[in-house]
Amino acid sequence: MIRPVVARALVAIVMAVVLHLSAAPVLAQEKSRLETVLQRGKLIVATFSTAPPFCYTDDKGQLVGFDIDVARLLAKALFKDPSKVEFVVVTAEGRWPAIDSGRADMGIATTTIYPDRAVRVAFTRPYVDSGVSVLVKKGLGLKSLADLNQDKYTIANLNNPQMADRAKRFIPKTKTLTFDTPAAQALAVRSGRAQGAQLDSPVADWYAATNKDEFEVIPELMGYSQNNAIFLKHGDFTWWHWLDTAVGEMRSGSYYGEYSDVYLKWFGKNPPPQKFYLR
Amino acid sequence: MRFVNWIVVYGPNYLSGLAWTAIIALAASVGAVVWGGVLLLIRLSGGLWTNLAVETYVQLFRNTPVLLSIYLIYFGFPLIGVVWPAVICGGLALVLQNGAYISEIFRGSVKTIDLVQFDAAKSLGLSAWGTFRKVVLPQVLVYGLPSLGGQVILLLKDTSLLSAISVAELTMNAKLLTEQTGAAYEAFVVVAVLYLLLVVCLELTARFALRAVRWRPRHDAL
Repeated sequence: MIRPVVARALVAIVMAVVLHLSAAPVLAQEKSRLETVLQRGKLIVATFSTAPPFCYTDDKGQLVGFDIDVARLLAKALFKDPSKVEFVVVTAEGRWPAIDSGRADMGIATTTIYPDRAVRVAFTRPYVDSGVSVLVKKGLGLKSLADLNQDKYTIANLNNPQMADRAKRFIPKTKTLTFDTPAAQALAVRSGRAQGAQLDSPVADWYAATNKDEFEVIPELMGYSQNNAIFLKHGDFTWWHWLDTAVGEMRSGSYYGEYSDVYLKWFGKNPPPQKFYLR
Repeated sequence: MRFVNWIVVYGPNYLSGLAWTAIIALAASVGAVVWGGVLLLIRLSGGLWTNLAVETYVQLFRNTPVLLSIYLIYFGFPLIGVVWPAVICGGLALVLQNGAYISEIFRGSVKTIDLVQFDAAKSLGLSAWGTFRKVVLPQVLVYGLPSLGGQVILLLKDTSLLSAISVAELTMNAKLLTEQTGAAYEAFVVVAVLYLLLVVCLELTARFALRAVRWRPRHDAL
């Protein structure tokens, strides 16, 4: 008599799990994250700690960088207080579950928009332009991508397949290595494991500027201009819309002044003009 | 069902990683057992200083995380002009650490052998090597097999650390797919299942081996 009961219970559990898995996306998000954030009184942000000058730990152990300051601008817009942010440090592949699970309200971690990614996560409009440069070891005479395109050289990529595709396209003869963090990529170049590393242009510039006798950056971009954006969980229109509006205001509207200060602080130059027809 | 869809589209990407993980784990296990045996031999036959050296080595590797030795060999050795491929560096680190553990497993097994047996071996005219091969080794293998199986499983799981130095194994596969698609849960659930599968295979092999070795040392014979 017990066995059929157990079997039925098992079937019920399995069906419940299956139903839950298939129904979850439909039922999710009744209350907006924006409301939660405002009630909580602080913003929780997923970010990196190893990608200077966007988000990294400085000599004093503080999390600093352009992304960090942009997050503080958001807190300022939400709470009139830039310090009302809590940062959750994640790894490259830990970015997505951090926002998917609700551990963080949003992520800002030198993250490039790709359509493949946008299937699973939502992006705001870009908060900064990005492109990929190649950081190389000084003294090897590597002045262009063509110089690097030889099978005796190795390039260190970050672990996203877009990097592998880009390397295959622009420097097909160069061997490749794959790492978790920009810091590990730089270490690979430093230790001679690789002669070059594909990095977001500002990251490459930062490494070259802070280690002048060790690194230099190949002047040409590898590929095309790209977009870095804030990412969040799909399906919450109100929250997405608030973040997108805030980013829009930073780049071309009422927050342009604050945004320019932060931009100048980390990149040493002014951001692109507020509007192309304004001087 | 998004999950099923995801597996259909991206599942085949895991095959090469699965193969690499299996190959690395197999090669490193064999290496670690041999190296553990060598360490045991040195301990059994050595004097005070060699014993001290082996002891230091074992303590050093047992008390430091294996990721550290992986990094040291991979990023450190090039500074002295030794540039081995990542697989070799990672494999070597695994062999060095697990060899230390396995030599301890072997040593524990040797300790269970009654000292009388050594006298008996001597009285039968067995040389030191003969005693090792015919008396010590069979018992060490039998006593040590269960713990040895456990250690090999640990080694298999530690191969995931090699993703930190650009080895294209299973965990690296998951990282690449997560980075491409943002589907972290799917990518890592698949990896977990594949590791589980590999470990179950290992477990079954270990059980089979234990059964195959029917002979058991008997103490009641004394």
